[in-house]
Amino acid sequence: MKKLKLTDIARGEDTQLIEINPNELIPLPPPYDRVEALPGFKQLTEEQRGRLVCNLDGVVSYAALPKTKNKEEEKKYVEQFVSGMKKLLSKENNWTFLQPLLLSIDYCAQCQTCCDACPIYLASGRNDLYRPTYRSEIFRRLVNKYVRPVGKLRAKLSGGDIELNWTTITRLYELSYRCNLCRRCAQSCPMGVDNALITRELRKLFSQELGWAPKELHEKGTVLQLEVGSPTGLRPDVAIDNLQFLDEEFTEATGTKVSTPWDKEGADILLIHSAGDIISFPEGPISFSIICNAAGINWTLSSEIPGYDGVNYGVFYDDVQLARVAIRHAQIAKKLGVKKIVMGECGHQHKAFMTVADRVLTGDLDIPRESVMTFLENLVFSGKIKFDPSKNNFPVTLHDPCNVVRNLGIVEPQRRILRYLCPQFREMTPHGVDNYCCGGGGGLSVMSDVNFTDWKVHVAGRMKFKQVLEAFADRPGSEVKKYICAPCLNCKLQFRDLLDYYGAREKSGIICGGLAELIVNAMVDVKKPFIQWEEL
Amino acid sequence: MSGIGWHIFAFGAIAIFLIVIVYRTIAISRLPVHLRWELAPIPHEKGKARYGGSYLEEYEWWRKRQSRSFMAPVLYMAAEILLLRGVWKHNRALWPLSFAFHAGIYLIALMLLFSLVSALLIITEVPSGVVDVFLAIASVLAAAGYLLGGLGAVGLILKRALDTNLRSFNTVSKYFNLVFLVALFITGAYAWFASTDFASTMSLFIKGLVTLDGGVTLALPLSVHIVISLLFLIYLPMTDMIHFVAKYFTYHEIRWNDEPKNEKMIEELNGLLDQPVSWSAIHVKADGKKNWVDLTTKKMSDDEKA
Repeated sequence: MKKLKLTDIARGEDTQLIEINPNELIPLPPPYDRVEALPGFKQLTEEQRGRLVCNLDGVVSYAALPKTKNKEEEKKYVEQFVSGMKKLLSKENNWTFLQPLLLSIDYCAQCQTCCDACPIYLASGRNDLYRPTYRSEIFRRLVNKYVRPVGKLRAKLSGGDIELNWTTITRLYELSYRCNLCRRCAQSCPMGVDNALITRELRKLFSQELGWAPKELHEKGTVLQLEVGSPTGLRPDVAIDNLQFLDEEFTEATGTKVSTPWDKEGADILLIHSAGDIISFPEGPISFSIICNAAGINWTLSSEIPGYDGVNYGVFYDDVQLARVAIRHAQIAKKLGVKKIVMGECGHQHKAFMTVADRVLTGDLDIPRESVMTFLENLVFSGKIKFDPSKNNFPVTLHDPCNVVRNLGIVEPQRRILRYLCPQFREMTPHGVDNYCCGGGGGLSVMSDVNFTDWKVHVAGRMKFKQVLEAFADRPGSEVKKYICAPCLNCKLQFRDLLDYYGAREKSGIICGGLAELIVNAMVDVKKPFIQWEEL
Repeated sequence: MSGIGWHIFAFGAIAIFLIVIVYRTIAISRLPVHLRWELAPIPHEKGKARYGGSYLEEYEWWRKRQSRSFMAPVLYMAAEILLLRGVWKHNRALWPLSFAFHAGIYLIALMLLFSLVSALLIITEVPSGVVDVFLAIASVLAAAGYLLGGLGAVGLILKRALDTNLRSFNTVSKYFNLVFLVALFITGAYAWFASTDFASTMSLFIKGLVTLDGGVTLALPLSVHIVISLLFLIYLPMTDMIHFVAKYFTYHEIRWNDEPKNEKMIEELNGLLDQPVSWSAIHVKADGKKNWVDLTTKKMSDDEKA
């Protein structure tokens, strides 16, 4: 494998910095160990290479930038990058993360301890480009050179001076989207340095100063959510129609009356699902309707823009968009007069709304916000609903969404439910706060196009897929149906890609779904099996 | 160097060290309150820290009093500082060198403390038997400190130079810091071996400083060692080697800061939200005058109609 120097980032102009070789990735257990038996890694066409900036690793998504018309335009962006670095270090423009950023820039000991904590670096076969420290150290040196006093002289004297040019910033931009922001690296750092935070700050600089962000996160993400209601494009009336249709369909399929309340003023609870669940995993929202109604909860959904979609991609790349979405959600809850807001099964919604945005939700916008895990745990053990755990007598493992577990410390409630309702529950190794990201974290699960999904399933999600296979190693065949419980929309989307790509449904009988579905499947009053193995 | 020269140099170095450390500590502490960015496990979570749980695991957590442990974070940090817990857990191959290096520094700091106490005991004319015990301990601490520190520092230089995992991230300053410390440890070790009574000489030197005795004289090896040590004391706070200060903030103020808002914080937050924003991207809609509240808050449709 080619060894990379930090200074290589600025060299070679349009040349691709590294080539990903599937044979160099960490091996998977059988029957997924034969690289030649898997679909290949899509290569970029000459047309794509001519049109787009693809000078990093041969992977392209909607994040890819079009090539510039001339050198002046490139120079303008480079100047903007310098101006963005200055703003990142200013109190006015970046009070939100100034202290964590400065500490992470100034106190890295370069011990590389964090590298072996990173699932992407490990899965890649230890490719230098994917070290958590590679992009951070380049950014650190650029900040020290261009923003700090006598930086240029110090850069010359200290060695490893990195040139700032169009190649550098375009590669750094792409590279900032080769990280799941899972913070496993931060957890392992003896100094408390946070390379995931540096990556997010880098994304923020590109977004807030240069206007560069992946379409799926920005234009078709937060912008669409604030305008239309959801990054899925689902408008309020369509969301209501869809759920009403699903209510009827599931009433018929399960023999249990399903109904979902909307815009109920004075309800005790505002539940905010991810709208992506309504479209891609409708059993999830329906499960909540069944559970809440069975327990006699006074709850509601909201059809106010964007109150029916709890995602907040701002947490991945942009503080302004993060605050806009979070404030909007809180305003909706305030208008409905609810006593609390319950997060849906969405990891980054938990992190964005419960903790990260906590300090921008002041005054009457500070409405109590609770995790779906504690909410469901309380209902399951309340005695209001009868369960028959034998209905869930199949192997189940739990994926820990990083944003719920590592970032919020919500570890046990979901486990207590699974230990009670799933007789064959087993943990992955490692799990809990030491878990590996699914590979879709940091917004990557919603990014696709060209060959980005290939990278996600080959590299970013590889450690997780390996973990899943190992968790089910005692029942490897497809004749035994197995369930990955992933209580997070983005994780489920990534698992769907992984299972599709590797053919794991067919080869190993593995499906993925949420937590609420397992609860409903075990309910005595739901007569027909709720989990439909062939549909998930 | 003359007696008065030693006084000026030593007290000057100590003063610079303290002033710069305090200045940089205050500078970090006065950075604005940031958005929450905690990271499990958080040791102060009583009954939950062992598996990484937090108070957010409680149903309607806001109705319950958070059960916080005072001692758990202290014990965690003690293991982190004294035993390099994080390096042991996550980078075992680096631990022996890093531990030797840090242990050397701690032992030398302890040696100085014992030497200071010995000096004070001499000044207050405590019986020599007691002083001898302190001097004997100081002597052992010095020998162990210089030896361990020297081995650790040389080992770290070699590891940085030879380990391909570390090599491409090295800078001149990283090597310079280690070489400076090697010089400190080696001159200290040489002074210890060259002197018949290192600890006693060191204590008398400190006594001379404390009592402002102008007649302080030292043998060359110890003089060289003390000069290098005082230069290092001046240099240290200017570098990232003050991570022992930064670590307080990265752990207590960021990783473990899961504190919900309080009145004082809200007051500060209101001031921060009132600041003008000048990010240039079109979607931000900043003009250098609009503040954070203007940019992020949109009235609800009903309010707009009204």
